[in-house]
Amino acid sequence: MRLSDASVVIRPRTSWEAMDLGVLMAQEHRLLLMASWALVSLPIFIALSVLLWQYPSTALFVFWWLKPAFDRLPLYILSKALFGETPSLKQAVRHWPRLLKGQLLASLTWRRLSLSRSFLMPVSQLEGLDGQARQKRLGVLQQHNAGAARWLTTLGVHLEIGLWFGCMALFYLFIPQQVELDWDWQRLALATGPEGLWLEHLSNAFYALVLVFWEPIYVACGFSLYLNRRTVLEAWDLELVFRRLRQRLSSAAPLLLLVIGLMLLPLGRPAMADDSPPTRQVTPQSASQSIKALLDKPPFKNPETVTRYRFADEKPNTKPQARGDGKLPAWLQALLDNFNSDAFKHLAQGLEVLLWSLLAGGVALLAWRYREWLRTFVSRRGPRQPKLAKPTPTQLFGLELGAETLPDDIASAAERLWPNHPREALGLLYRGLLSRLLHDFNLPLKTADTEGQVLERVQRLQQPQLLAFSDELTRHWQNLAYGHRLPPAVVQQQLCNDWRTLFSSGVAR
Amino acid sequence: MSEFPTATALTTETLQHASRQAQALRVELRKAVIGQDQVIDDVLTALIAGGHVLLEGVPGLGKTLLVRALARCFGGDFARIQFTPDLMPSDVTGHAVYDLHTEQFKLRKGPLFTHLLLADEINRAPAKTQAALLEAMQERQVTLEGEALPIGQPFMVLATQNPIEQEGTYPLPEAELDRFMLKVRMDYPDSQQELEMVREVTRSSRADMLDVQPLRTVLQAEDVLQLQQIASELALDEQVLDYAVRLARATRSWPGLTIGAGPRASIALVRGARARALLRGGEFVTPDDIKGCALAVLRHRVRIAPELDIDGLEVDQVLQQLLDQISAPRQ
Repeated sequence: MRLSDASVVIRPRTSWEAMDLGVLMAQEHRLLLMASWALVSLPIFIALSVLLWQYPSTALFVFWWLKPAFDRLPLYILSKALFGETPSLKQAVRHWPRLLKGQLLASLTWRRLSLSRSFLMPVSQLEGLDGQARQKRLGVLQQHNAGAARWLTTLGVHLEIGLWFGCMALFYLFIPQQVELDWDWQRLALATGPEGLWLEHLSNAFYALVLVFWEPIYVACGFSLYLNRRTVLEAWDLELVFRRLRQRLSSAAPLLLLVIGLMLLPLGRPAMADDSPPTRQVTPQSASQSIKALLDKPPFKNPETVTRYRFADEKPNTKPQARGDGKLPAWLQALLDNFNSDAFKHLAQGLEVLLWSLLAGGVALLAWRYREWLRTFVSRRGPRQPKLAKPTPTQLFGLELGAETLPDDIASAAERLWPNHPREALGLLYRGLLSRLLHDFNLPLKTADTEGQVLERVQRLQQPQLLAFSDELTRHWQNLAYGHRLPPAVVQQQLCNDWRTLFSSGVAR
Repeated sequence: MSEFPTATALTTETLQHASRQAQALRVELRKAVIGQDQVIDDVLTALIAGGHVLLEGVPGLGKTLLVRALARCFGGDFARIQFTPDLMPSDVTGHAVYDLHTEQFKLRKGPLFTHLLLADEINRAPAKTQAALLEAMQERQVTLEGEALPIGQPFMVLATQNPIEQEGTYPLPEAELDRFMLKVRMDYPDSQQELEMVREVTRSSRADMLDVQPLRTVLQAEDVLQLQQIASELALDEQVLDYAVRLARATRSWPGLTIGAGPRASIALVRGARARALLRGGEFVTPDDIKGCALAVLRHRVRIAPELDIDGLEVDQVLQQLLDQISAPRQ
């Protein structure tokens, strides 16, 4: 890096002036910057849009999130252009993958949301600093101009949004009036179906275009802020002046030396003759006295005379001041020194851990305390669909419903049971019916459903045969269970036959 | 089912006769009050179960009409009290008057001594007047001048009220609410039924009311008593009884409710279920009967938790959740 080759005038500027310089730099290389940005970012944008066609907002978000990766290219171009080595478009775009290597993960994760992103980007990209060294550098850099860098980002956000809306409004204005009549704009904007998708992707594209225009300027402004900060810190302007001086003088130096020598020669003699001024002896005492005298005068001290009234018994407050100025008690001083040292670091860390775990524990305690409430009401608001599908009750009305607990041939088993245990036989048939409804027809039966509600659900299936059988069986089951009335033998045979005809020859799956 | 002998003393014939009577009454009422079948069922449930009903709904849904139609179809006495802010308790129960001729105090019975009492807009009267109904509703007697006077049987109070948030109303106290067996909400009829209703009403000779004159009298007071008797003897399985009690008990520990229902709720659930079983022509009570009247029985006996109230949840929604999670009887 040769400062003398810089294509900009290097001098300390105010931060706003520096950003102005950034705009000028971006203007100077606008074609190269915008073209390279577009070449790099637009293909990725298109790929994202195609991949996430159903989720336009997600596509836009991912594209926006990747901005720091794209930003490296304009910065590279600008840093080269600063010293007159402007790369061609092809070179720049080819160089981009190599730029992505250093600290990409960091810049895409925890540094992504930094407000002074463009200002600090040169530190990692151009200087290649990382870790502790980078932190130190940032500490120095951010003492000034950091506020301006944050404002730059904030302004950039607003500018992006403004331009974005502007583009969309322009698009809208370009629609011919005849076509516009057919457009229900609100419906399109609120539409969630496929007809609204293309509109969202269109607005995403507008955003990508806005970035092509704005992002290089943003990077250039951050870069010029960085340059300005370093100019101030390292006195680049002075260095430049000296360099220029040296350059100018290097050719004329011998001649100049000769002239000076000649000029000094004749003047030297009278000076050696009268040696009255240097005779004054400089002793350490006198020097210190003169220093003290000097320190007592402005601008080191500005004594003022204040005239005011005071109470007669008021003592001049020398004493308390003396005490205030005076030393603290030794033990307190030691304690304070201890505080300042690293001795309490571990204690502090321990306290931190303790506080965080207290917070976590509190949250857990609250969740536990209100678990009933949460279970009842929070799950209700969540998506219910998957929940309903999952748990098929294994018991309904106290009846085992699992397919494996039922015999293979339910009708025959019921027939066998009937003479001695009619109740079990009918129960078995009803269980079989519920199990079939639950597993074959996927009815969402719950343990809270009564027989009537089960029938209602069966009615919704619109299978007259099944409904008739369920009706009949439920009636007999209720008669037995709640009315304590046995069905006659005719009904028994009929039910078993119906079961067989209904559920494919009675043999279970 | 007639070929099976019943276990209880009820014969199938009497049972069927009773349920036919009840269903005839239902058919008559449906002629008068169009589009409120659920409400009619609930009111008949209360009539058969011997309970009182609180009808709630915005004005103009036919609350009063329903009660007038019921009075018309039922041969007993009918009285109505229009509750106003200046109504006094003695206007309801009656009071002693000095008779100049006989020089004695004479008891003058209030409108409470009847079979069917319509307490119209009950929440427009202040609490002291509302409280005049308490003794009559629970104990079916009125104490006047230290003398307990029984009220004729059957006795049923049908109170109507507009929703509390309306201007100029006094909310009913909990003790009073608890004495109502059912609180029935009337909602707007669906479009088809409203169409039919408007057609009927505009055909009627009276300006904007449905004529209840053509309804025929289906029941006499004694018939109602008999219906109540039959309903109370309907078979009830232990499991179903247990289900009713579990429902009522669940409201006491349910997280969405600050105040649960008392034992009166369990009693009302079982009585209501018996009445519903009779009304549908059943010979025993099923869990469906319990569940069918659970909302009407419970909704005025519980209080919803304030945070849910703020969230805009209704008592009915919370109770529906409860009904959806209490498992049905296990047999």
